Parts: sequence; C-alpha cells; structure tokens
Amino acid sequence: MSGDTPPRRLTPAQRAGRSAALAALIVGGFFPFIWMVLTSLKSEGELQKFPVQYLPSKLDFSNYARVFSEQPFAQFFLNSMTVSLLSTVLCIAAAVPAAYALARLNLRGRGLLMTAVVTFSMLPVVSLLVPMFRLMRGANLLNTYPALILPYAALSLPIGILTLVAFFSAIPRDLEAAAMVDGTTRVGALTRVVLPLSTPGVVTAALLVFVNSWNEFLLALSFNTKLSMRTVSVGVTLYQGEFAFPWPLIAAAVVVATVPLVLLIAIFQRRFVAGLTAGGVKA
Amino acid sequence: MTPPLNPTPSRRVRREPGEGLLAFFLLLPAAALLLGVLLFPMLTTFRDSLYLNKLTEPWLTGFVGLGQYAQMLGDARFGAALRNTLFFGVLTVGGSFLVGVPMALAAHLPGRARDVVRVALLLPWAMPPVITGLIFAWLFNAQYGVFNDLLVRAGVIQEPLRWLSTPGLSVLAMVLTIVWKTSSFVALIVLGGLQGIPKEMIEAAQVDGATPTQTFFRVILPLLAPSLAVAFIFRTISAVQVFDIPYTFIQQAPAQGLLETLGVYIYRTGIEFLDFGYAAALSVALFALSLAVTAVYVRFVRDGGNS
Repeated sequence: MSGDTPPRRLTPAQRAGRSAALAALIVGGFFPFIWMVLTSLKSEGELQKFPVQYLPSKLDFSNYARVFSEQPFAQFFLNSMTVSLLSTVLCIAAAVPAAYALARLNLRGRGLLMTAVVTFSMLPVVSLLVPMFRLMRGANLLNTYPALILPYAALSLPIGILTLVAFFSAIPRDLEAAAMVDGTTRVGALTRVVLPLSTPGVVTAALLVFVNSWNEFLLALSFNTKLSMRTVSVGVTLYQGEFAFPWPLIAAAVVVATVPLVLLIAIFQRRFVAGLTAGGVKA
Repeated sequence: MTPPLNPTPSRRVRREPGEGLLAFFLLLPAAALLLGVLLFPMLTTFRDSLYLNKLTEPWLTGFVGLGQYAQMLGDARFGAALRNTLFFGVLTVGGSFLVGVPMALAAHLPGRARDVVRVALLLPWAMPPVITGLIFAWLFNAQYGVFNDLLVRAGVIQEPLRWLSTPGLSVLAMVLTIVWKTSSFVALIVLGGLQGIPKEMIEAAQVDGATPTQTFFRVILPLLAPSLAVAFIFRTISAVQVFDIPYTFIQQAPAQGLLETLGVYIYRTGIEFLDFGYAAALSVALFALSLAVTAVYVRFVRDGGNS
C-alpha cells in the first residue's frame, strides 16, 4: 500500500488547501456523532433555545440513566451483541470453506456460482420481509435470536464470500502445493496455510458482517416484537412519544447504540480500510 | 481495486480424486443458508404475487395470475414511489460522488492526521441508517436545528426554515442525509483505487512537466475508472433499495408523499395495509430493478473491468 504521494514541495497555498480538505473531511465525518454526544448532555430546557447553545452549560448525565430506566436498554444491548456476534460466527464459518472452494478448487460452473453469489448480495431485504416472516413464523422462531441470526448470516454471506475469495486468491498457490507435497491434505492446506495468511481478510469480512447485523433495522423491527427481544437499532426509536421527541434522551440512546461501532472502527481502522479497499465493499 | 469476480486461476491444477466431493462439502453450509434463508423466500414472493392475499379483506383470495401486476400499472401511488426512488437515486448517487471523490483524494494525502481521517471516513459508513435518519431529522429540526442555526448566523436566511414540513425542503433534507451517509462508501472504494495506482506513473507524469490538473485528468482519473464504475453500480443498487432513512424521515415529515420510495411503499403495503399479495407484486418490481443493475455489474466485471 503506497500511502505517500511522491516527494514534491507544496506551495503554501497547496498546503493550506490540503489542510482545509482534511479538516472538512474530519469535521464532516464526526460532526453528527459529536452533536449527538453534546445533545445527550443537555437538559430539555437548554435544548429549546434558538440561537442554538452549542455547549451544555453543565454536564448532565441523567439522560443516560433514563435511557436504561425507561426502556430495558441493557437487554436491547445484550440482544444486539448476541445476535451480531453469533451471526458473524455463523456467516464466517460458512463463508470460509465456500470461498476456499471458489478460489482454489477446479469447480465446474465456477463462473455461474460466482454470479449467483453476486446476485444474492443484491437482494432487497424489504422484498423478502413478508415471506421471511412467514418462514420464521412457520419454524416457530419469531421472538428468538435465530430469527435474526439466520437472515443476518445469510444476507452478509455473499459479501463475506466475495471478500474472502479476494484474499484467498492473493495467496500463492505454491505455498499450498508445498504443504501438500509435505503430506498435508487439502483441508490441512486451508487451515494451516491459507487461513493464517488471510487473517486480515477474515477480520475485514467479520467486521462487515458484525456492522451489517448491528445496524439492521427492518427485520429486527418485524420479527422480534417482544420488548425483551428488541435490538438497539429498534430500541433507539422506542423513546419517541406519540407527539413528542425527547431529543436528549434519544441522543443518549443513539450514543450508547453506536459506541461499539465507534470502538471497533477506532481499533481496526488501519486493517479495515486496507481490507475493504482490497476486497471491495457493498454498502 | 474492484471486487474480485474473476481472480484468474493462475494455473490449472490437475483435479485430484475426490475434489468434487470436497467442493460439495465446502460449499454445502453456504448453499444451505443462501437457498434456505434467501432463495426460498424469494421464490415465495414470486408465487405470492400471483395470488390475492389481503388480511383486511380475507374473503378475497385466489389465483389472479398477473392481475396484481396490472393493478400496479394503474396505481398512481406506485408510479409516484417509483418516480421518487429514481429521482432520489439520481440526486443521491450523483451527490455521493461529488462529495466522495474529493474525500478520497483528501484522505489519500499524506499527513499526520491519517488515523483520524480514516475513522472520519468509516464513521458515516458504519452508522446505522436508522440512527443516521434520526440524527439528521434532529439537525434539520425547524425550531432548534443546527442547520437553521448556522444558516441564520451566517445571514443566509432570516427566519428558520421548516425543513421537514416544506415539500421541496424535505426532499433536499433527505438527499443531504443520504449523501452524507453514502459518500463514505464511494470514498472508500475510490481510495482503494488510488492506493492501487503505482507512484511511478504519477512521478513520470510530473517529470514530464504535467501540471497537477493534467496529472489528475490524464493519469489518475483513467486509472480510477474501474473503481468509479464499481462504486457507481453498488451505489445505484443501494439507492434503488433505499428504505431505512426515508422510513425514519417520514415519521417526522408531514410532507410524506414526496419521500415515499418503492421500499417504503412495499413495507407499508405489506406490514401496515396487510396486503401481502400486492406487496409481493411490488417486491418483484423491486427485484427486477435491482437485478437489472446487478446484471450491468456482472457484465462489467466479466468484460474485464477488473483491471
């Protein structure tokens, strides 16, 4: 990865332009999130001021307490964690062998299989909502974790496979060939040679699945309607009354709901951007 | 770099005995998930679209063939939803490129703030769409919204604008929100393309006396073309299917009609009006739209856009 531009002297104007561009990018990316943090620390009265008062006059953390007392938000959080982690595990467990087969074995109809994978990645969720609902109801899975885990794993599977195929294909075949000459089986070559070398790919794919699952709204809204089975993306919408929007409270819920994503991104940003750009992504 | 549809098999390895069987077992879990959880409901949708099935009028059932598709052709609300979807699609895809490509160029610049820039790039992409919708609805609030405040302070407007309850403005607000959310995606793909351009090519152009503008348009842009194309196609697909952000906006915007996309109309038909048959027919229309874009993508990658 060549991050550096060629060595050349920048004129002061160019340097100013560069700083301005980077500053705009940083402010633009962070602003809405920071605004929610500021809003969450305000009181309702402080909020209803125009011109807007940008900084809270004193830090009021009571909204965070209310997030957890007015709705079972800790339970929502636990539900989201469970569902997202398990769908990630299931998706990666299915994607790794499939991607290996597609990247490495001499499959008849490989092109067709890849086309099928791409086509699956494009299916609109809203179009599948009603039949999926009936499927889950028929299997007696509504208001259970599997009702979300199965669709989340399946919906992210195509992009997981595509990402991993890219990483597996980039590993020289000779390495596996050497291992196999030394007496390893195909499966041994996968687990002992290919997989360790493609850790960045697996991490990228896993993060994609986790983020997709954590953010999913429509299926979570429709399949798990019992309060104790709600996820955070639905949970944040539950604070609005019929006519009122208690914004400081909603803001606090939003902050809590997005903290895991912000942490994951901050920790893995280097590897993740490299992985995304190497593997290709789908929003 | 583009998504890898055809990592060319560098060399044909002789098929080992039992490799077909191994492939079968390796593909089995993925196939079971895709066929069971995605394909089965999709086929069900096709079948459902041929039958009347409306919970509010349970006596009306039975096979109607293409009847509900005919109904669709005469349905003004479907027409409006389709028009809205395409209109938003053009504006938000275009907008996300106008913002995303400069963002990628800025993120590609060297500098000490690199890690912060990366996080700033990833945040909008990773933010849950529903939450993005909520946040921006608040930023656009008529009484206490930040956007009104900034515009008033800057002297652009005298009185706060009623963003969400004025038809034209609510459309603009939603477009801006979707552009914020999706520019990151364009930037990430384009950044990948930028990082794949060999430094030597840019240096060579500069040695030859090319101005930065010439270097950009003659060297960088052509090499970026595959990334731009892939970002464009993926963005178009997600634009056609857009649901979460319009759904959250509609909750707060009295001027709803203009914000209803095809995805939202399908949701309302199926979940709110409980007309499963008609929702299925509308869903097939959305499938068709998505698949049309997908076909372009598959074709593009097949034809060696994978540089």
